[in-house]
Amino acid sequence: MPERNIDFGKFGARGIKGHEAAARQLDALAGFVATPITQHCGLLARLHYLTRTDRARQAAREAGLTVTDRTLNAWLDGRRSPSRKNLQAVEAAYRTVRRHNVARYLTVRLNREGRGTRVEFHPLNQSQVTRPHQRVLSFRTLNVRHWDRIVEAWANDDEDALDDAWINDATADLGSEWGQYEYVTNVGFAA
Amino acid sequence: MTDFGAIDALLAGARKEVPLPPAEERRRLREELNLSRPQLAQALSVSSSTVAGWETGRDPSGETREKYAYFLEGARTKLAAVAAESHGAEAGGGPEEPGDPAELHDTEELDGTRAVVHDGDDGATLTTPQPCVLCGQPAHHQVAGFPQHLAPADCGTPTPSAPSGHGTPPTPASASARRGVKIVPVGRRLKSADAPDLIGSAVAAALAEHSGDVEAATAALVKRAIPDAMALLDHSRMGGRYELVAHPWLPDVLRKQSSRGADQIWEARPKWTRPELPPGEHEITALDVNGAYLSALKTHLPLGQLEHSTGDHHDRRRAGVHLITPPAWGHDAYLPNRSAAGTNPARCGSPNPPCVSCCGCRARSTGCAPPPQIHESWTSGATEGLLEKFRVTLKDARDRAIADGDEVTLEYVKAMYSKFVSTLGESNYNRELYRTDWMHLIRSQAFANLWWKAHRAYDEGLLVVRAMGTDELHVSGDWRAVFPEGRGVAEVKVKDVYAVGTGPADDDT
Repeated sequence: MPERNIDFGKFGARGIKGHEAAARQLDALAGFVATPITQHCGLLARLHYLTRTDRARQAAREAGLTVTDRTLNAWLDGRRSPSRKNLQAVEAAYRTVRRHNVARYLTVRLNREGRGTRVEFHPLNQSQVTRPHQRVLSFRTLNVRHWDRIVEAWANDDEDALDDAWINDATADLGSEWGQYEYVTNVGFAA
Repeated sequence: MTDFGAIDALLAGARKEVPLPPAEERRRLREELNLSRPQLAQALSVSSSTVAGWETGRDPSGETREKYAYFLEGARTKLAAVAAESHGAEAGGGPEEPGDPAELHDTEELDGTRAVVHDGDDGATLTTPQPCVLCGQPAHHQVAGFPQHLAPADCGTPTPSAPSGHGTPPTPASASARRGVKIVPVGRRLKSADAPDLIGSAVAAALAEHSGDVEAATAALVKRAIPDAMALLDHSRMGGRYELVAHPWLPDVLRKQSSRGADQIWEARPKWTRPELPPGEHEITALDVNGAYLSALKTHLPLGQLEHSTGDHHDRRRAGVHLITPPAWGHDAYLPNRSAAGTNPARCGSPNPPCVSCCGCRARSTGCAPPPQIHESWTSGATEGLLEKFRVTLKDARDRAIADGDEVTLEYVKAMYSKFVSTLGESNYNRELYRTDWMHLIRSQAFANLWWKAHRAYDEGLLVVRAMGTDELHVSGDWRAVFPEGRGVAEVKVKDVYAVGTGPADDDT
C-alpha cells in the first residue's frame, strides 16, 4: 500500500500498529481469566474452561493442547503439575478457544445490526520527535460497520489478516489521511 | 398471459393534468401574498430554482403539479377575499373599527400569510395575528411595520409605553406559570429548540408500560439507568465545543494492578472523627449532603490524553492526577485533614511514600496548610463545562421531581447519576466510557466538597465532630444558621440526632 510507513520511528515517533491496539481492545472485551497461569488458581480456571465438555476438550486439542486425558485429569486433581512448556501450551490453547467462543457474540455486538460501533483513534506519540519533523495529528473517531473480518482474523490469531482487515475495513475510511493512523497510541471502542 | 389488471390500473391512474395559470400570473400570485420563493419551495419540497423555472414558463408535472395548482388556487381565493374586504371597508367610508377580531378571523383560513390591510395614516390591520413586539401575544394591528396591540389593556406587558420594538421579553402573568418556549438561532432566523425531555419521556413510557405500577416502573427504570445516562450524556454534548474522548490511553497509575485490586490513586476520602469534645453534654446532628455526586459532576475534567510531567508546578488550566507529598496538618483536633493522609493509609498504595492524588481543587488555597508538594503529574487540558449540561439536566429533573413528589423520577435520576459515576472507569456495566481519571476526579471533588462544608461549619463557629464518606458531616451547634435544610442539592438533610457527653443521660451514642 502506498501510504504504509516504511521506517516507523526514525525520527522518534512512538506508537503501536493499529491492529495491535485493536487486538488489545478485543482481548480486553473478551474477558480472559485475570489470574495469571503461574498461580494454581489461574491454571485450574483455564483447565476447567478447557475440559468442561467434550466439545471443549476437542477444541482444546485442536488448539494445540496435545496431552492425554489422563494427564489433564492428573493436573486437575493436583497429582501432577504441568511443566513450563505445557503451561504455555495451556495458556495458548485457552486463549485460542476463548477467542473462538467469544468471536460470534463480539461480532454481533460490534456490528449492532449494521449500525456499527464508534472507534476512537488516538494518534501516535510525537513528544520525542524534533519540532520540524512533527506533524499535526488529531484525535479522530469513525463508525466502523463491518467487523466480521476483523474479529475473525483476531480469533484466528492471524497477524497479517488482522492488519489487512483493520486497514481496509476501519482505518481506510478515515480518508486520505489514513496513513497517519497506521500507528496509534490507542484504539478505543465499546462492545 | 398479459396482466390486464395492471393495464386497467394504469388507465385508471392516467388523468388529465391540472391546468395552471400562465407563468406571469403564478409569479404575481406568489408576490402579492408576500411569499418568497424559498418559502414556497420548502412547502412544496422542491428547490427554489425549480419554483423560479415554473414562474418563467416551465411546467411541473405529477404530484408536484397538483400541489402547485392547489397553492395557486388557494392564493387566488385568498387574494380575492382580501380585495373584497378592503373594497367593502372603503365603501363603508371610514377606518375599520380596531379591536374587532371576529371578522378578521374569517379571512385567515388558508395559511399564515402576511396580508396587510392599510386602514389609516399610521396603523394597519393584519389579517393574520402576529406576535406583539411588546408582549408577545397575537396582535391584529401594526404600527410602522411592528405588530402590536393598539389598546394598552390588550397588551399584557407591564410597560406598554416601551419605546423600542425589540428586546422586551414576553412576561405575561399566564406565561410565568407554564414553561417558556426555548429557541435557538438557525441561520438568520430563530426556531424552537427541539429539546426532548429524555428523562420525562422515559418515566412516562415506563409508567405506561407497567400500567401505573410505581414499584415495577421504578425497578425497570433503575435497570436501564446506565445506558439512559449515556444517551443523555451524548445528547447533552450535541453541539458542544469539545468531543468526548471515551477510551483514552491511560497511564499505569490508573490501571488496576489485579482484577479485583485498586489502582494507585488515592482520592482523599475523609474518615475523620474529632479526638475529644469539650466538657459538657453535646447534641450532635448527623447531616447528609443531598446529591453529593451530582454536585461533584461540576469539576475540572481532563479532556484528552493525560500527559506526564515532573516538577512542582500546578497549572490551573490542566487537571489530572499528581504524585504528591501531603503537607503537614496541624489542625487535626478540630478539622479533618484537607488531604486526609493519616486516616486511610490503605489507599495509599503507591510504591513511593508520597501518594498519587487527584488535586482537583488545589487551585483553591485552603489557608490553613501549604499546598502539597507535587513530584510528578499526569494531566491534560481541562474544562469544567464538560458534564455541565448533563448535570443541570439531571438537577432540574431532580428538583422538579421533588417539587411534584414524583418518587419514580427521583429514583431514576438518582440511579442515573450515581451509577454513571460508579461505572465511569473500567466497569463491565458501562463499556461506553473508560475514564478512570474522571471517576477519581469526580469522587475526589465530592470529598473536597464535603471538606469545604466542614470548613465552613468550623468558620461559622459550629463544632465539627465527624466527617466521613462522601456526604456525612456530624456537627454540634446551631447548624440551621449555616446550612439550609431541605432536599435540594445546595441543602442538607438530617440523618440522625444524638447526644454525647457527661450529662445525666450520658453515652447513648
